[in-house]
Amino acid sequence: MKTPVIVISGFLGAGKTTFLKRLIDNVKRKLAIIMNEFGEVAIDAEVIKGKAVNMIELTGGCVCCSLTGELEYAINEIIEKVKPEYIVIETTGIAEPDSLIYNIENMPSVVLDNVITIVDCDGLAKFPEIGYTQRVQIENADFLLLNKIDLVNEQQIKEIEMKVREINDRALIFRTKYCNGNLDYNLFFGYFIERNEQKLKPEEKQEEFESIYLEVEGYLDRSKFEEFISNLPKEIYRAKGNVIFKDGKYIFNYVAGRLSYDEFNYNKNRFLFVGKNIKKFENNLKNSIKKILQNE
Amino acid sequence: MSILASIKKINDYTWEIPKEFRKDMRVPVRIYATQKLLNEMDEMVYTQAINVSTLPGILKYSYVMPDGHSGYGFPIGGVAAMDADNGVISPGGIGFDINCGMRLVLTNLTIKDVKPKIRELVDLIFQRVPAGVGSTGFLKLTTSQFKEVVEQGAKWCVENGYGWDEDLEHIEENGCIQGADSSKISSRAIQRGIDQVGTLGSGNHYLEIQWVKPENIVDKEAAKKIGIFEDQIVIMYHCGSRGFGHQVATDYLQIFLNVMERKYGIKILDRELACAPFNSKEGQDYFAAMKCGINMSFANRQVILHRIREVFSKVFNTDAEKLGLKVVYDVAHNTAKLEEHVVDGKRMKVLVHRKGATRAFGPNVQGLPKDYMELGQPVIIGGSMETGSYLLLGTQKAMEETFGTTCHGSGRTMSRTKARKLVRGEELVKEMERRGIYLRTVSYSGVAEEAGFAYKNIDEVVDAVALAGISKKVVRFIPIGNVKG
Repeated sequence: MKTPVIVISGFLGAGKTTFLKRLIDNVKRKLAIIMNEFGEVAIDAEVIKGKAVNMIELTGGCVCCSLTGELEYAINEIIEKVKPEYIVIETTGIAEPDSLIYNIENMPSVVLDNVITIVDCDGLAKFPEIGYTQRVQIENADFLLLNKIDLVNEQQIKEIEMKVREINDRALIFRTKYCNGNLDYNLFFGYFIERNEQKLKPEEKQEEFESIYLEVEGYLDRSKFEEFISNLPKEIYRAKGNVIFKDGKYIFNYVAGRLSYDEFNYNKNRFLFVGKNIKKFENNLKNSIKKILQNE
Repeated sequence: MSILASIKKINDYTWEIPKEFRKDMRVPVRIYATQKLLNEMDEMVYTQAINVSTLPGILKYSYVMPDGHSGYGFPIGGVAAMDADNGVISPGGIGFDINCGMRLVLTNLTIKDVKPKIRELVDLIFQRVPAGVGSTGFLKLTTSQFKEVVEQGAKWCVENGYGWDEDLEHIEENGCIQGADSSKISSRAIQRGIDQVGTLGSGNHYLEIQWVKPENIVDKEAAKKIGIFEDQIVIMYHCGSRGFGHQVATDYLQIFLNVMERKYGIKILDRELACAPFNSKEGQDYFAAMKCGINMSFANRQVILHRIREVFSKVFNTDAEKLGLKVVYDVAHNTAKLEEHVVDGKRMKVLVHRKGATRAFGPNVQGLPKDYMELGQPVIIGGSMETGSYLLLGTQKAMEETFGTTCHGSGRTMSRTKARKLVRGEELVKEMERRGIYLRTVSYSGVAEEAGFAYKNIDEVVDAVALAGISKKVVRFIPIGNVKG
């Protein structure tokens, strides 16, 4: 079983560490956090020194790490030593995250769940041109948090949202203040439910979101399935569940155009779709799923 | 008018975006490129160069070298010279891998001597010169020793037994830039750099064993004076100040963002161009801290040379002196340096930002070692792993036109992610071995990332600077062994 990874990206001072704190506080799971350096999450805790990584244990069972060795060694060491349910990587604000993302997508021990980019609205209002590095950070995001909205007016937020949409038209956008925007943090963890509870059930509680749950038996055709996923309506920003192909059984996770799999033993194809006003797609989805069954 | 339509041709290798293109431009943008390279540049490079041209104190032009591509704020391959009295200093114009640079080392061995031992050499270097993201070196330093290193650079290394006295003469700034002040760097920066002296790092950093094919010597006379002969083996490597330089840049970017507008009234469009007046307290602090990055990098390349000499002397069972392992030169890519230049007929002090660009001083310029006074400064141009590399010389024309600056390497044409999607690292390694290049790496995906086709053609880039007259070709090297970070 692979360990899912979330990447947090964003400009210097955008609120990456604040967001990390919120994740830790709101999601009572065993996380391992890799930071560029031990940052502002100051905690008195025990330091576990490894070969490729320095770790400190946080209250609540998370582990916070600073990289001292090569990333892949570090990740494997963390998995071996602390067996986290999720790994969260906070990237440096001054570098493009695309290399790191690619590395994670190609590491055998982990699966990339999603990339969250924090956008500093106050900064973008003051410096209206989105620079190259910020552009790459925004381009690669599955979730975009427009943060510090309390420091700008509605008109400015709209302009920023438009600019950001021009760079990335697939990510789900949230508006936040101190990285807090009435978020359901489970949203960021696509691989939780299926692994930890055998029942996949809609659990997004936020009012504006709707979910659709579907099941089907038999083998699915992998290429048809991937085509189906890539053609999902924009309103659906998350899909997850289990699929059975001829070559094996998998758990899948889709967010804003990014699809990933891991091997997982479950005897049914099941799908959970989450999005805004999506109930109207239910019949269409049912029909489409029937079509991706392997005909034999 | 679009940017592309506004580009004016000066001659076949020189192009300009006039000052009138945008109201806030203080100087025009000048691009050195062939038509083909110009067509290959992404438009963001031009936008970035235009943004740079708005910075206070910029002199003559905002330059783009033929290997230019988009970077943090400034283009990589960008040059901006600021009036030292009323100009700014900007970390984005220097780059985060401060003094990432190249060193070229001679041997008196030939391809016949080395070919049979190439695997042994590369394997041993791979072992002795650690590569990879967080790699740590064999040098165990205390904090106070590390502070000495960043203030004294390669000089510290030679004094402590890692090199020869003569090495220092053949390094930019003699391996130790004056004015580095370790009290201006954060403890985080020290933490990140303290065990990285003598390490290659990751990304586009590498060490190569290269071959001087007889047909690749362009300027026979200059080559001879430098000590280069037919079928000779040379060693070239590319690395920088690692996590240390990165942290110095991060620390000061945050400081600059806070004071730039509030305290100094400097308005910019793109935050990545954060800057401070060169003469301000913040500007001078950063300058002194950045110099620590420059010295850390000189020291890093010096310790690596020491390891290379150990490896060669072990494999050939002879002293490094007898093997002729002499430094040709060591050049910096990512720096800002205070230099004297003639601007509009007037000699003045200028802060030259070179980001992904190399100093290329012509003959008889103060600061060059006596061995190169007559020839001009050696410029070492790293190509990609597959394409080969160059040794050039600086020219008088570079002094007149580009503040003594030229290109640094071949520059990307596609993003790293795209390159890796197109090719698999393992296959590339095999393909290179078939072509006679033996390669060791910590990361296969990194190899794909640095694949030759992801870069502009090195020959084309070097032709552009040579034809524009800001450098002169001496010789081209072909790799036979490579250690990649």
